[in-house]
Amino acid sequence: MHLGIFKITYNRTATHFMDDCFVNLGEEMAGERNPASCYLDERTFQLCCQLFLQHSETIQDGWSWEQIKGTDEGFMKKTVLMPVKPSVLHKQHEYSIQDENMVTDDIQANVEDETAGVQAVCEIHAVLRYEYHVLYSCSYQIPVLYFRASTLDGRPLSLEEVWSNVHPNYRQRLQQGPWDTLTQQEHPLLGQPFFMLHPCRTEEFMKPALDLAQAENKRMNYIVTWLSVVGPVLRLDVPLSYSTEVSAPD
Amino acid sequence: MSDNAESPTETQKDDPSIQHAATEQTGASDEKKKIDVLLKAVGDAPIMKTKKWSVERGRTVQSLAQFISRFLKLEASEQLFIYVNQSFAPSPDQEVGVLFECFGSDGKLVLHYCKSQAWG
Repeated sequence: MHLGIFKITYNRTATHFMDDCFVNLGEEMAGERNPASCYLDERTFQLCCQLFLQHSETIQDGWSWEQIKGTDEGFMKKTVLMPVKPSVLHKQHEYSIQDENMVTDDIQANVEDETAGVQAVCEIHAVLRYEYHVLYSCSYQIPVLYFRASTLDGRPLSLEEVWSNVHPNYRQRLQQGPWDTLTQQEHPLLGQPFFMLHPCRTEEFMKPALDLAQAENKRMNYIVTWLSVVGPVLRLDVPLSYSTEVSAPD
Repeated sequence: MSDNAESPTETQKDDPSIQHAATEQTGASDEKKKIDVLLKAVGDAPIMKTKKWSVERGRTVQSLAQFISRFLKLEASEQLFIYVNQSFAPSPDQEVGVLFECFGSDGKLVLHYCKSQAWG
């Protein structure tokens, strides 16, 4: 198997570009059997999302498409209420964890309808609201996962608290990495502060899946594969049925 | 699972929930508790000398990944990725028994794995 490491070359300038992170094995091997490229054009991104969203609709998985008015840009979005161990939240904030978790008569009057269903867990766990956005990055030419997290009363989580809630299967390695895997970024389309999972390592888990699919002459939906890997890092569940029920775009 | 496991045999002894699957067996007698898993390397992942394992249904993907990482002696900075149905990463908390029900065929569950580069 021929393994080559090449710098990415683009005909147009690509902004914020980490040479050391990325290898492009797709575009340089003209004349040889082209390994599957890890990159995704925006049109394919949108098609993959459309197919993904159809299945989400079928199983009521809660994803929606947000179109930016007047543009042909958009992103997928999903909000989740997530019970977590109170230890995820730092205790040095003004109110205590216990107060937050106790549902008294006074507080109940102010609790929104959407949280009514989780009152039972409030007493044992803290409940967080995670909002996930799947965006297309023109500079990296791949999808990127943005998210914001807050307590039920709207307090945004700190970076440390977000790290506490990264899945243990990934946490240690990601935290010890030589770059910032989780960073606070301005949402490229909304302009609000979000966290972003750095897309730098996308290629290392996408390439094997893409190569496999190519070897078996199967076409796969990039977004399904990609989200199945990155989602669980941030406690986002992607049900197994996406694997079999979502087709690749034509 | 023992942290001191140096060889497959030791790992096996300390970890009865993951065992070599006999090559001739279809796993019928253990079908209630264990399922047969076939591990296939992708990319430049090291190939496991023993590819076929009997795994307890309740074992999670994360736990299986840890087992494979130890078996392959991966460094702490190397991440193992596991795929089912070739291109879907099951959640680390997913039970292998559930994966077998969804994706098993010919009495076994095929899982592909690859690893990331180490830091530096």
